[in-house]
Amino acid sequence: MKGYYDIVGDGGSDILEQVQAQQENVVRSLSGVRNLLAIGSGKGGVGKSTLTMQLACALRELGNAVSILDADLNGPSQARLGGLQDRILVPGESGAPVPTTRSGIGVVSMGMLLPEPHAVEFESVTSGSSHTWRATREFTILRELLACMDWGKLDYLLVDLPPGAERIVQYAELLGPRALFVLVTIPSDLARGVVARSYDALRKTTNRTLGYVENMQGYYCPDCERVKPLFPAQTQVKLDLPCLGSVPFDPELAALCDRGGFPSDSTAPVSWQPVRRIAEEVCRRVAERAPAPEERR
Amino acid sequence: MKFLCVSCDEAMKLIEARPPERGSLTVLYRCPSCAFEFAMLTNPYETQVVASLGVEVGAEPTGTVGASRCPFPGLVRDMGAGGEGSLPWTPEATSRLGNIPEFARPMAKTGIEKFAKERGLAQIDAQVLDQAKDFFGM
Repeated sequence: MKGYYDIVGDGGSDILEQVQAQQENVVRSLSGVRNLLAIGSGKGGVGKSTLTMQLACALRELGNAVSILDADLNGPSQARLGGLQDRILVPGESGAPVPTTRSGIGVVSMGMLLPEPHAVEFESVTSGSSHTWRATREFTILRELLACMDWGKLDYLLVDLPPGAERIVQYAELLGPRALFVLVTIPSDLARGVVARSYDALRKTTNRTLGYVENMQGYYCPDCERVKPLFPAQTQVKLDLPCLGSVPFDPELAALCDRGGFPSDSTAPVSWQPVRRIAEEVCRRVAERAPAPEERR
Repeated sequence: MKFLCVSCDEAMKLIEARPPERGSLTVLYRCPSCAFEFAMLTNPYETQVVASLGVEVGAEPTGTVGASRCPFPGLVRDMGAGGEGSLPWTPEATSRLGNIPEFARPMAKTGIEKFAKERGLAQIDAQVLDQAKDFFGM
């Protein structure tokens, strides 16, 4: 009697072929993207989204074409950060054009599709069991966004990841081996411990982690014009990867973010120069090593 | 999943996949040798496994725009998308709507119709879509 692998095809359901076609469409859609840079942490509340937008602005200032995919479907931030909450997706002649901020950064975020305070809800034919399907549905949505958006030619596509140390590997698999990772932490052992877990998870993939950024490194006091500590000076948890730079907590930046503004030379908050240095460091490290053949996907 | 006609040692072929009814799919298979037929009846969990992948049993593997469902059905209902007062779409505009993810279409459709109504336009065609694209800075 024949076994599974003796039979060519699946008799017509074509489920495997459809999933493979989805993956091929993602590869095709991202073919004009030179560098895929995922900004993650594992820990929530460390400023990943803000740093992603800042980094995008800095990379743009350095002459790069940059877009952001907000992969946090449940807590999207990038539409507000980019001042794009009132945008809608309009179908183009091929794919969906990416909405852009005033400074020319492309942003795709669930926050454009779903106004606050509405939450994403997944209907299920099995009542009360959405927790069972949710992760699969979320990744299917992200894959569709990656495949359908007209990303065009980009130097950097930044992917703002949601929290969850164990899930970082799932995002690495979704984005493929050429995706580079930057991890964000704050100077506390609590956060660094989770980031260490994320890095441990990433080390088991073929993806390259460029390093980590220490966010909220201190508080900039405008009265004494000094950066004062926000967290204990000494941390016990060591991160075994390069530090790309540190960024002070910046109330001016927080206000800009809430208004949907973004830093530029004319409205530069104190965190702007550190972020620019981090962007330069990212560019340097990206250029340092050409992608290995298995990273090209 | 593959099915084998044990008597003929032949792979069964899918002949029909009926739309889900109360979460259950009916998929008919036939043996190409002896014409024996049977139906696979899925339970809602099995149906959901397939739906969560954004695919449909028996669909063409184009994979162009997935079949994932809208993750904000409540909001779409509240906005009255596709209900009374919605504008007609030309075939070309409808075809272009297929270029955005399926889950985002109800919201996009509602937003584009709102844009058109505010400008006193009576239908959605490719020109309106281009105007909306320019207006929204894309």
